[in-house]
Amino acid sequence: MEIDYAKIGFKSGLEIHQQLDTHKLFCNCPSVLRSDNPDFTIKRKLNVSAGESGKVDTAAAYQASLNKTFVYQGYDSTCLVELDEEPPHQINPDALRIALQISELLHCKVFHTTQIMRKTVVNGSNTSGFQRTVLIAHDGWVETSSGKVGIQTICLEEDAAREVGKEGNTVIYRLDRLGIPLVEIATEPDIKSAEQVKEVALYLGKVLRSCKVKRGLGTIRQDVNVSIKNGARIEIKGFQDPRMMTETVDKEILRQKKLIEIHGLVKGVKDYGLSPIDLTSIFRNTECNLVKNSLVKGGKVFGAKLPGFFGLLGLEFYEGKRFGTELSNYGKAHAGVGGLIHSDEQLKEKYKFSDKEISEIRNSLKVKDKDAFVLVVDEEKKARKAVDVVISRANTQINIAVPSEVRNALPDGSTEFLRPMPGADRMYPETDLPLLKISQDLVNDVKRTLPKLHDEVEADLKNRGLTPEMVKLVLSEDMLEEFESLLRIYDNPNFVVKALILWPKEISSKEKLSDKQRSERLSVDIIESILQKVAEKKISESGVKEVLEKLAKGSSLDESLSVKKEGGDIRKLEERVLKLIKEKPGLNANAYMGLVMAEFKGQFDGKVIMETIRKFVK
Amino acid sequence: MVKVDPKVGDYVEVLFGKNSYKGTLLESPEDEKGTVLLKLDSGYNVGFVKKETLGVILLKSGEGKKEEPSKIKKDVNKPNIAMIITGGTIAARLNPKKGGVDWLTSTEDLFKFYPELFEIVNVSRVEVPFMKASEDMDFKDWQKIAKLCEEILNDGNISGVIITHGTDTLYYTSSALSFFLKNLNKPVVLTYSQRSIDRASSDASLNLRCAALAAVSDIAEVMLVGHANSDDTFCYAMPGTKVRKLHSSRRDAFKVVNSKPLAKIFSDKIEILSSDFKSREHTKGKVELDSKFEEKVALVKFHPGQDPDILDYYLKKKCKGIVLEMVGLGHVATNRARLGWTKKLKDVQAKGLIVCAAAQTIFGRLDPLVYSNGRELLATGVIYLEDILAETAFVKLGWVLGHKEWANSKEIVKKKMLENFAHELNPRLEE
Repeated sequence: MEIDYAKIGFKSGLEIHQQLDTHKLFCNCPSVLRSDNPDFTIKRKLNVSAGESGKVDTAAAYQASLNKTFVYQGYDSTCLVELDEEPPHQINPDALRIALQISELLHCKVFHTTQIMRKTVVNGSNTSGFQRTVLIAHDGWVETSSGKVGIQTICLEEDAAREVGKEGNTVIYRLDRLGIPLVEIATEPDIKSAEQVKEVALYLGKVLRSCKVKRGLGTIRQDVNVSIKNGARIEIKGFQDPRMMTETVDKEILRQKKLIEIHGLVKGVKDYGLSPIDLTSIFRNTECNLVKNSLVKGGKVFGAKLPGFFGLLGLEFYEGKRFGTELSNYGKAHAGVGGLIHSDEQLKEKYKFSDKEISEIRNSLKVKDKDAFVLVVDEEKKARKAVDVVISRANTQINIAVPSEVRNALPDGSTEFLRPMPGADRMYPETDLPLLKISQDLVNDVKRTLPKLHDEVEADLKNRGLTPEMVKLVLSEDMLEEFESLLRIYDNPNFVVKALILWPKEISSKEKLSDKQRSERLSVDIIESILQKVAEKKISESGVKEVLEKLAKGSSLDESLSVKKEGGDIRKLEERVLKLIKEKPGLNANAYMGLVMAEFKGQFDGKVIMETIRKFVK
Repeated sequence: MVKVDPKVGDYVEVLFGKNSYKGTLLESPEDEKGTVLLKLDSGYNVGFVKKETLGVILLKSGEGKKEEPSKIKKDVNKPNIAMIITGGTIAARLNPKKGGVDWLTSTEDLFKFYPELFEIVNVSRVEVPFMKASEDMDFKDWQKIAKLCEEILNDGNISGVIITHGTDTLYYTSSALSFFLKNLNKPVVLTYSQRSIDRASSDASLNLRCAALAAVSDIAEVMLVGHANSDDTFCYAMPGTKVRKLHSSRRDAFKVVNSKPLAKIFSDKIEILSSDFKSREHTKGKVELDSKFEEKVALVKFHPGQDPDILDYYLKKKCKGIVLEMVGLGHVATNRARLGWTKKLKDVQAKGLIVCAAAQTIFGRLDPLVYSNGRELLATGVIYLEDILAETAFVKLGWVLGHKEWANSKEIVKKKMLENFAHELNPRLEE
């Protein structure tokens, strides 16, 4: 796929949502995801009123048309705020601070007075019917290999509840994720190629990881806005893997190009104001299993003519996606049907329709040479609605080339319709909270204590003599602060990393310690005490690993350290004992004791020396 | 660009430092008058300190867009009800252009925000005696509502009345109406909302729909209808004198105390749970208004170590009666305490103050006979009000003392306070 981005007027912006590693944004619940059974469930409905401006938001209206029941799963780690049973608490100051750090790292200007807003969301993922969000900063930039990309806005918002299941018209959500603080970074539509999309995404990822953010799958979500000349802004959501972005963006370009082409072919066609027609009677004796199975269950077949669309439903955007697939998506999303059958498909071969059935369909729908038709087989209400939606989508194609909408990124790089693009109308103030004031003092303080980016940290660590493996360990285990503080006690970087990270890791896996045991027995505090002893030359570097091993087995710190009370090295003692046994074989333990004691007295307890001898002498 | 003073609703440009920001000018909150509040094109609101802005330039005058009036069809097959709108969250809608609150005060507004209500009934009459937060109400407001109820209920074309009200003192109003409206022949339904109606999760929709079903039901009583639990599944119809707000924020803030709900109401059906109510069918004649009220009554809560001299204050203020919220089975500090109340209670009653006792525990019945302390207090002449809720007792005391022919005799007052007028006394507590 060679695409000349400049020529097609490609414009793209990124929107990144990153969970922060703090408690929730508007209550004091911990930000933990749960996989155990819920402690309770709550059943709710959402209503859409004409809204504050008198207009019903398109996206909101679409969702409401689905008229669903929402079940929310709650835990001991959720409270009344998530249940929409208590007003929000004051905004979490830690989360605000992190948002300000990110704003500063991206050279943004902070708003000193801003208002927490409610963004209408009625798919049930927010118990309140809205998502709280606040604009923190704007007008920043990042540098890329092909020029600067502007940062439009930085917002702080609450994450939505997780959908965990669906049963008919009921959607089940888990409340654990609802309210986790998210920072949303939106770039200007300055990005000029699919490759640059990826570059910006990876860079922003790096900036985020230098701050206190959550790690792992699902903690960062990237949306991409894409448009081309004569096309429209499409928001693509749900990327889990930034490596898929290039391909997805390129495929979206192909889709828009093809839609523009189709629009060119149908734009003169008149809107006949068609409605779905019941074609069930044509299929009384059908050989088509799909139809037969549905009719047995009381289903119906509805169809409609799409005037002027002959041959266009089979037009391929890219491999596997045609205009017909697109129409089918709409039917699925709006009416919940399984799919649709259209005239550009191999009706006889694929569906076993008879010639008679096909000609009766064409007659009933008055399909002429230049027309196409669609059929939907399902329970009456759904089938009728699906066909209605398809007619309306086809009419849109006559009027405009690309409808602006939100699409879902699929793992294969393709996308599917998710919902229409929501408007600014869906934002109104959170009346339960006062205006948010961000003082210059706070901003100055954030500036003074700004975290370094990973790249800088990496270079810095290397300069201080850490081997690449050790640098990797410090960063992957997120132990930079601990490393720095231990280094102040004992200034040998590579050794500190071994004592702090490498050995505890090795030993815990060897001893099969649980995370809890590890954090108790080999805590940073304990390791600090050991390094203190090393610094005071009470024990040697080479003895530290053994001390850690003893600790891992459950010995107390004193016990573990007492082995080398005065800084002796147990291996040297062992060597000496073995040498002695070789030199003077056949003596009893007490005799060896007498000989060794003279040499190691003051370095080891007599008890320890005796134990060492007994390892070799019965 | 025209240099005039931009107004709220205008599209403007705010000059601030080296930057400028375009958006719609909003009204600043009451306590933020020094802030210029702007709705950006993205929908976000941001503010600027007025003194620090270099200017606000009008770009486009905000034309006062009129909302299209909703058309309501009257359905002759549906029963007619009346609504009395008194304020509170349920009748307040946010106007984000102004940043303030607009009241819903017409049938059209109601239809727009609560279309579900009109699926069940015709709202043939809407009365707006005042618009208040319920904490700002007093007995004069109860009297106004009661007067309207009398008028409405005696209109043969109307099946029942729904009163929308703020939650904070809703149960005082429901108590008052229970005593003020005699010979009730139709349902009087009070309802509310705890979540504002501009949010999709508002509890108002289900509450109102269920209130409508209650208003056309057979239950000719004053009742409060609201969420039974946190689910949007069903409401309870709760007796007006036996209900209390027991949570500051939950949807199911109101609970029945020392009684049972009258009915369980789903969005499409009503299940009667109790037989202890007057039925519409068996009521003849007109509703009578009896809303006399003595303002000089008080509700006083006892706490450990409290100086009984506080009672002198009420005497000095010419109080005619007080309801004392006592601890446990009906106790305040006695003779044995450092600050005993026994003597003071005797004194103030001798001076003519009526003293009634209600339970601070909220649930359960008083019984002064169990402990000697209780008997000591009882002997002073305190009227123990069994299981009447303290707030209901307060309203009832004002109503009883409002009747001059009763108020002159303590004996009659006691008799009236212990007479069951509106299910306020329950001789059988099952929980």
